[in-house]
Amino acid sequence: MTTILVVEDDKNQRLLYEQELKLEGYEVVTASDGKDALGKIQEQLPDLIVMDINMPKMDGIETMGKILGKNKEIPVIINTAYSNYKDNFMTWAADAYIVKSSDMLELKNTVKEVLAKKAKDS
Amino acid sequence: MKKKPVVPHMEKTVNKIRKLLNKSKGMVLDDKLLGSLEEMCEDLGAQLKKREVEAGNLSVKNEENEESKILEEQIQEEREIFDNVIEVMGAGLCLIDKNTKIIWANDTLKEWLNLNESPVGGHCSDIYHCDVVGTDKCPAELVLKGKKGHIVQSWVRTKAKKRMCIQHIAIPITNKNSNTDNILLLTVDVTENEKMVHRLLLLQQFGEITQGTLHLDKLLHLILTCITADYSFGFNRATLFLINKELNVLNGKLAIGPASSEEATRILKEMSDSHNSLTDIVDKLDYSHNIDTPLNTMTKLLVYSLADAKEVVTLCTKEMKPIIVKDAVKDPRVSNEFRKALGVNEFVCVPLIAKNEPIGVIVADNVYTAEPISDERVNTLTMFVNQASLAIENAETYKSLEDKIDQLTETQQRLIRSEKLAAIGSMSSYVAHEIRNPLVTIGGFAKTLSRFTFTDAKIKVNIDIIIEEVKHLEKILNNITDFAKPSKPEKIDVQLCEIMENTCLLMENYFQEKHITLQKKYETGVPEAPVDPTQIKQVFLNILMNAVESMPDGGKLDVKIKSIDGSVKIYIVDAGKGMKQDVLQNIYDPFFTTKPSGTGVGLSVSLKIIEDHGGTIDAISEQGKGTTMLLTLPIK
Repeated sequence: MTTILVVEDDKNQRLLYEQELKLEGYEVVTASDGKDALGKIQEQLPDLIVMDINMPKMDGIETMGKILGKNKEIPVIINTAYSNYKDNFMTWAADAYIVKSSDMLELKNTVKEVLAKKAKDS
Repeated sequence: MKKKPVVPHMEKTVNKIRKLLNKSKGMVLDDKLLGSLEEMCEDLGAQLKKREVEAGNLSVKNEENEESKILEEQIQEEREIFDNVIEVMGAGLCLIDKNTKIIWANDTLKEWLNLNESPVGGHCSDIYHCDVVGTDKCPAELVLKGKKGHIVQSWVRTKAKKRMCIQHIAIPITNKNSNTDNILLLTVDVTENEKMVHRLLLLQQFGEITQGTLHLDKLLHLILTCITADYSFGFNRATLFLINKELNVLNGKLAIGPASSEEATRILKEMSDSHNSLTDIVDKLDYSHNIDTPLNTMTKLLVYSLADAKEVVTLCTKEMKPIIVKDAVKDPRVSNEFRKALGVNEFVCVPLIAKNEPIGVIVADNVYTAEPISDERVNTLTMFVNQASLAIENAETYKSLEDKIDQLTETQQRLIRSEKLAAIGSMSSYVAHEIRNPLVTIGGFAKTLSRFTFTDAKIKVNIDIIIEEVKHLEKILNNITDFAKPSKPEKIDVQLCEIMENTCLLMENYFQEKHITLQKKYETGVPEAPVDPTQIKQVFLNILMNAVESMPDGGKLDVKIKSIDGSVKIYIVDAGKGMKQDVLQNIYDPFFTTKPSGTGVGLSVSLKIIEDHGGTIDAISEQGKGTTMLLTLPIK
């Protein structure tokens, strides 16, 4: 079973992603901020992380830096409302960058692509 | 015998009159002069009468008397002398009786008043065309009543077709009972004085008017009009040259004057018929008139380098003194070219000097009337030109100030616009992100819901509405965030025709659906331009989309690309609804739209992209006819 960690501070959105990704047949773990996420990674070792950037306590970019420092194997998809973080080179380390949309199709497709790439590489 | 002393006495009086009149030639009549003239005339009249009576008595008493014959001859002789004096003294004389009937008038008067028949027997008002006749202001009436008559002035046209200003005064001639029998009307030519007064008045008026005239073209017209106006300086033509300091040359600027002698005659006639004041002229100044005359066109082509002061006009600016050229053919200061250009042998150059610096030259001539240019005229002209120079200097300073202000205003507006865009950008980006998150949740859950099956079909319809509306909002947000995105264009050298071709290909189906006939015209050999292809494609897309939307019933859409002066120009011409002026002014403002479902950021994003590329967008639109969007992108 593929496990996806969704890091999202907005409670409702967290619920939305959880529902949608579960419908796609993934196991979904959620975290509400960067710190929470780091703990969850230790416990669950997810196959993929979907990460928001703007979050309290520890933002997505910092969290991603810490994750990558420990485990380079887990791919990260940045899912944010801001398109301008694309210019921040820190985000280039992510496997994909998508701008949040009510249409989940892009997210779902990207998840599929990234997982397929990971499977191919390993 | 008494005859001996009579002749010398009469001659003495006549001589006195002649002297006095000679002295007063061209002078305005004054009381003193009039007083003495009056006295002398009375004296003369009385003496003549006395002699006539004496002669009459004598001849009746003694017809055979030798002496009476001699006396008659003497009287005849005296009469001739008297007549001669009257003719040479350069004044009009007219004797009228108590009923203002003319008894006698001299030839000078007939000449001046353009009289073909003898006025004797008629009324004085018939020849003088007085407007005071019959009123208590009539000098003849006043004098008859024993009061002092005053001077009447009027303009007349002489037999020689000359406009002349005359003044006349009534002088009573009393009989021995000291009753006024007859009245002598003395007329003097004061045209020159009048002209002089007018010129001085003109100078003063000009000063007043030019203080308020800062428009340079208007001022130059005004100056030359003053110089050529018949009643002021009365030159036939005037040409103005100004110094261009940057190029160190003297440039022909403006010429005023009739193009042919026929026109000259017509204008002269019009001018003398309507005796306009300067203010009238200023009000009626028609700048389009005179602009296309051959003289003016030729003048504008005249350029003389100040480096070599070989030409008379450049010499004039160097010496800063008026130059009168009497004979251009023989004058070494005048080149053949200049003489031919001006087409006249006698002319005067007056320098325009402001703050001790020459700023130009005015050349005036009398090409049509061939009237010689007198020193006195040059003097008044110089006075006038000095004043004109200051006014020109002022107007030029004002103009350069105005240009500077225009530049500043433009820069300021540009700044305001970019500030506005920046402010809108940062604000909208904040708002956009704040809104995007809840939108994602709303739309996302609505989508989740739509997958369920509902018993009531209405629920499904309503959910779909929510999904659609959220999509629309997200579209707006995407545009705004793009707009706020400070991304720099990644420029590579590309063929703009190729980008356009790609964009059109992308829109092919859309064009078909909207019944748009696309006509592309690419100039061959349009060079590549350094642009960000994605951004430029976005711009083309936006503008083509607008063009199509302006033609709801379909129509012709022209796309032209050509290269001019180091830039590529892209014309997108639609035959759509066009825009009103007030709409046109706002099209680049963010969130300004006239479309029901538009976001109002398409053109502002396009403009930002084009400006980031160092280019410009121009929109030309006519309501009901269509719009032309012109994009200019630099090649280098």
